[in-house]
Amino acid sequence: MTATTDLPQVSRQALADAVPLFLPAIPFALVVGVAIRQSVIPAGAGMFSSPALMAGAAQLALLTLAGTASIWAVMSAVIVINARHIMYSAALSPAFKDQPRWFRWFGPFFLLDQVFALTAPHSADSPAQFRRYYLVVSAVFFTGWHVSLAAGLAVGSVVPAAWQLGYAPAVMFVGLVVFGLDRRPAVVAAVVGATASFLAIGLPNRAGLLVGALCGVVAGFLADRTGNDAK
Amino acid sequence: MSAVSWFGVVFVLGGATYAMRAGPILVLADRELPAAAVRLLRNVGAAVLSALVVTLIADPGAANRGITVAEVAGLVVAIPVAYRTRNLLITLAAGMAAFWLALWLS
Repeated sequence: MTATTDLPQVSRQALADAVPLFLPAIPFALVVGVAIRQSVIPAGAGMFSSPALMAGAAQLALLTLAGTASIWAVMSAVIVINARHIMYSAALSPAFKDQPRWFRWFGPFFLLDQVFALTAPHSADSPAQFRRYYLVVSAVFFTGWHVSLAAGLAVGSVVPAAWQLGYAPAVMFVGLVVFGLDRRPAVVAAVVGATASFLAIGLPNRAGLLVGALCGVVAGFLADRTGNDAK
Repeated sequence: MSAVSWFGVVFVLGGATYAMRAGPILVLADRELPAAAVRLLRNVGAAVLSALVVTLIADPGAANRGITVAEVAGLVVAIPVAYRTRNLLITLAAGMAAFWLALWLS
């Protein structure tokens, strides 16, 4: 996390941050691989959905809802689930200010939850350092995701369901939330975001996630205005 | 539906997802954001990721929607461990251990 001009060191830091973060995603990738085999979507299009979406939850919704709901319902579910990325993109836009054009177009393709969570604290790094960090983290997730997914496709889910490893990503994201709670408004945003999404959990297409996220952002903003910015 | 039309559906969804990820960056990167917008966007990480945690746990897509005692136990342990250690692997190990223990006890 310390500032350095040494790009290889930035790469090493990015690897050290991204690899442990990827581990809990492996069982999920295996599940998605199995879902590709079982989906009514032909395997070719199912596999294509992986690099096309770069978003596991939306991809799983697409694969499992296909055939059980109208095509418009399936498509709107995927778009609602992925709409949180608009907020990630807006929040990260200042870090792209001094970036070359190619990176502005290429980088956002990899802007998944974990990539946002890891790179957002590096927004104030130098442009070259931010770019290097972002690209290495993205490479870890892109490669790791596709390798794990291929394993799920080939051999099925080798992890026994009784282990309930599906819970692991939630713990991991809780850790990331806690690491980011450096100011009181952020704490307000997290608590309100979690509470509101829980209350809105019954909304269709997992829209509760969006509702909760928006409530949290607004609540954090209000806390910023009304209270002081101290901890 | 034919394989070709499924490819079309996936292609459109991929394009929509990319547009949502790239759009704000491409539009906003060259602009100086007003202070209020910066304050609003500062809390995106905390708000979205915590809403994501709840969605992952309560799983609105599943038949057994809701949050179990074991899932709460995992979080109750993971949050202070994350706060104290600032280490993701330790947080993950502690949270999963508490979760499994609570599952085993219940």
